[in-house]
Amino acid sequence: MSFPAPKPHSSPGSPAFTRRSALGALLAVPAAGLLSACGGTATAGSQRISQAALEPLAASVPAGTTIKVGDPSIKVALELSGLAKELDRVTVEFANISGGPQTTEAFRANALDVGSVADIPPIHATWTGLDVRIIAAGYRQDAVNHPIYELGVAPGAGISRLEDLRGRKVAYSPGQAQGALVLRLLDKAGLKQEDVKLVELPSTGDAYATALASRQVDAAPLGGVQIKRYLAKYRADGATTLRHGLRDDPSLLYSPAKVLADPAKAAALAAYVRVWGKAQRWIEDHPAEWLEGYYVKDQGLSREDGQYLIDATGKRDLPTAWAEAIDRHQETIDLLAREQKKPQLTAADLYDARFEAIAGTAFASAGKAGAA
Amino acid sequence: MSAVLDRPVLAPHQDPALAGAADVRPTGKRLGPGRRRQLAWVGPSALLLLWTASSATGLLDPRILSEPWTVVATAGELIADGRLQENLAISAQRAGLGLFFGILVGAVLALLSGLSRVGEALIDGPVQIKRAIPGLALIPLLILWFGIDETMKVLTITMGVFVPVYLQTHAGLRGIDLRFVELSQTVGLSRAGFIRKVVLPGALPGFFLGLRFAVTGAWVSLVVVEQINATSGIGYMMELARTYGQTNIIVLGLAVYGILGLLSDGIVRLIERKALSWQRTLAG
Repeated sequence: MSFPAPKPHSSPGSPAFTRRSALGALLAVPAAGLLSACGGTATAGSQRISQAALEPLAASVPAGTTIKVGDPSIKVALELSGLAKELDRVTVEFANISGGPQTTEAFRANALDVGSVADIPPIHATWTGLDVRIIAAGYRQDAVNHPIYELGVAPGAGISRLEDLRGRKVAYSPGQAQGALVLRLLDKAGLKQEDVKLVELPSTGDAYATALASRQVDAAPLGGVQIKRYLAKYRADGATTLRHGLRDDPSLLYSPAKVLADPAKAAALAAYVRVWGKAQRWIEDHPAEWLEGYYVKDQGLSREDGQYLIDATGKRDLPTAWAEAIDRHQETIDLLAREQKKPQLTAADLYDARFEAIAGTAFASAGKAGAA
Repeated sequence: MSAVLDRPVLAPHQDPALAGAADVRPTGKRLGPGRRRQLAWVGPSALLLLWTASSATGLLDPRILSEPWTVVATAGELIADGRLQENLAISAQRAGLGLFFGILVGAVLALLSGLSRVGEALIDGPVQIKRAIPGLALIPLLILWFGIDETMKVLTITMGVFVPVYLQTHAGLRGIDLRFVELSQTVGLSRAGFIRKVVLPGALPGFFLGLRFAVTGAWVSLVVVEQINATSGIGYMMELARTYGQTNIIVLGLAVYGILGLLSDGIVRLIERKALSWQRTLAG
């Protein structure tokens, strides 16, 4: 092998040379320490903690107790109302997580202590071996006329009564409140699952409105602003919505039982539930601030859309006793267990009775005091 | 000794001594794409024009894809209340961190695996396995291991970014012509010198290709991670708009992603052109 004689080279620091080695150096950076891993390992023990094993709630919260809360709208309410300072003794870390799938996932990762959901996720969490308890419950007054959901009907589907659903394609999401609602309204119309075509589709974002508009399904439950948007966009094509005439209003806080078994955490959660009750009252009493601070500023909605949501919610109802709500929850469980072929549960077991009066009492007294 | 591996002799068109001389080289049929021109904007502009035209003529239903002027108006509103800038800043921070760690990990692994057989045996297989697993599918596990905080977000982006960097750098490194290795041995280069003067420059073209995949990949991963416990970022903004059916904000988010991708790719290509000025290829 022979090489040509080397070329006389320019000065040792020729620009191309330094630039190239500088870039080469980029490649040769020694590996830095990887991001430190946090978070422990999660073990999903399906061993249920019995209600009797839980100690009575402590009167005060031990200093330095931290809770991770998945309740995004209340975070804003606490900031707007100044109620945040009532939680001085507790370190509250808010996570922007709510709804069944996300909260149960975070519970399993030990990344969350309390989540905000409707009535179906606690049932499904229990069925999947996660031991959870409801610690606060809010409802709507005159719930039948202030539904969270309406049944969206695709343009030209010709569904004007629930009975018309026979033989039609209905969007269905088994683990979500929307899915349970579909089963409940079929039940109300005297229809079986076999009488309609259930199309499994998780309700995320605007999936249902889009599926209706493109005639993928004939009917699907739409919630909140989606109702208004759907009609605004597609009414011209013949889109309609249908009131189902059922109660679909539960709004719950729930926590993993193992968190509630820790006395310090339980006391901190009780303090949070108290403030949650007051915040609900504040939202009701200050619609203008709520519209501006939450719907417009935080959620990026137009004033008109925000007002629509406030009107749709109507008045809140935070009971100091859960008996009636537990009965309604039991009916939902019975229906789901039957229709989804799941084991039977006792609704009362899903509630942590120690918390029963806290939110309702706080809500009522905040109203009397004329919340600041 | 290093003199041997220095810059090649100047090409005629770069030689200042020949600058004034007439070009008397024989011309034949040209097979390459021709001289480099500043035409990068033509394709994207054509796309924009098509979108505008089909919206204006009503071919495109605004309920399916918002009109360009609606998107511009939406951008104006969001910039006015500062939402767009805030979200963009936090997204850029996440993408930047993920990109930094991803490039580092990818490059280091590629060198380890490219320069030693032991390294290859240990590293290459697992990386190929990681390649086969969709990033989205890893999210539940990453949440279990790292919780729902920023760590998990940056790590998800890192996981997505390091693979192309590793692959392309590794391929570039292994593609170095054996002649250069023999030359280095002949002139008695030390191992460190060989890595610095042959391996790294030789792997750079591959590294830059990997980098182009990585920068756009980092932006794309954002949508996924910002759907989990985020209260900020472009992905969060789009997800929130989905919840409320605000198509115009979703399309704006897509446009922002497109612009970011195009810009960051352009920047990488510019650096690449400067760094690889010694390369004489079809790219010109």
